[in-house]
Amino acid sequence: MQSSALALPISFAGYDPLERILSADDFDRGMSGWLDLRPNFTGRDFAAHDHRIDLEHWGPTMLSSATFPFAGTHGSASGTYSLKLGTRWPAARADQPPAPGSMGLAIKRLATPIGATRLRIEALVAATAVQDRPGLGVDAMRSFGLLVDLQDAEHRWMPGVRWVNAVDGAPERRWQYYAATTADDVGWSYGEAGWHRAGIDPQWFGRRYPDGSTDGTAWFGDQPQPLIYNETDDKINWMRLALTIDLRARRYLGFEAHDRSLTFPEGAAPTLADPYANIGGLLNPVFFVEADGDQPVTLFVDSVLVSWSDR
Amino acid sequence: MRQFHAAIVEFRRGFDGAIATHPYESGWADEAVFFVELEELSVGSTVRLAVQLSPDGLRWVDEGTVLELDQPDHVMARLTNFGGFLRLAGEVTGTAHRCTMTVRLALKG
Repeated sequence: MQSSALALPISFAGYDPLERILSADDFDRGMSGWLDLRPNFTGRDFAAHDHRIDLEHWGPTMLSSATFPFAGTHGSASGTYSLKLGTRWPAARADQPPAPGSMGLAIKRLATPIGATRLRIEALVAATAVQDRPGLGVDAMRSFGLLVDLQDAEHRWMPGVRWVNAVDGAPERRWQYYAATTADDVGWSYGEAGWHRAGIDPQWFGRRYPDGSTDGTAWFGDQPQPLIYNETDDKINWMRLALTIDLRARRYLGFEAHDRSLTFPEGAAPTLADPYANIGGLLNPVFFVEADGDQPVTLFVDSVLVSWSDR
Repeated sequence: MRQFHAAIVEFRRGFDGAIATHPYESGWADEAVFFVELEELSVGSTVRLAVQLSPDGLRWVDEGTVLELDQPDHVMARLTNFGGFLRLAGEVTGTAHRCTMTVRLALKG
């Protein structure tokens, strides 16, 4: 364990941060600055800034005790509470834009430290389907993932990873990363240029395809990685994710998920868009979850550690 | 210092007939206030909302508090001694039986 981890609470004992800590959030201590990712209400009568898809009705984020009808309270990895992201309404087919309410997203808004060269986002997460019907909801989730919204002096860019669990009911269990898109702004925003430039908000923009890919994703070459779903919807297991980014080269450095270290192709990087106004230096990690059918799904986040290096 | 969180449980959501707001986990909180902003309601229609509690977000029991509105308005319901999950359930009835509302939940504990 590196020196920075020694000062952290015991709930971060399994983490492997870089030298400097930017934020350490254990949701037993409240929402910790995480909240719903919502659009900009800058239009007439506070209308949302973009209507190409419905950004206003994603499922609300909440503090959860992971309580189930038959198991009772599951709790979190190191206490009672986790951050819960959930879906509200049924998903569209995989080759369609996300349907209203078919995702849940949570964001925290930070800023890039002076001299930061590398960034690591780590979390303990568990995913399951809402136990609203008999059976096993192992294929109810389309995906979950994490990304980070960054803007430096030259570019806005959103590196991230997405675990595609199932596509229109068929199991997939493979990881993607957000890759440089060849789409133009019109194609990226589903046929009408808007606020979203190509590559921005890849969790919901970029044309989608029947195999679960999008104009903004690339598959890892590794074999499928089944995560722990367990044997019923009310048994959840906490698994670690760790995404490391090179902030100077704007490249991926590494990604660890559960029991595997995944390999990025040489030079793998997300889309580098032109900068937006008034957000220079922002550093906003985002988690999301997405339904595959009509059964609601849940992503629990026990804790999140954002660390960085100036070396 | 106690925790506080204001959740936007429903945002400018249209309802047609039956109403049920998204189940919101509130087990950490000691007190809650539902703020209901009824933004649109067709003339001659009425909205009735009952506060409901749930142990699991799936099975609901009436708490006893009922809100009734016959025109756009902003009303609230104060709650204590609730279980893990909270929602509002009811219906919009009348000539067009359609409404649009934003529901916020202020939690403290």
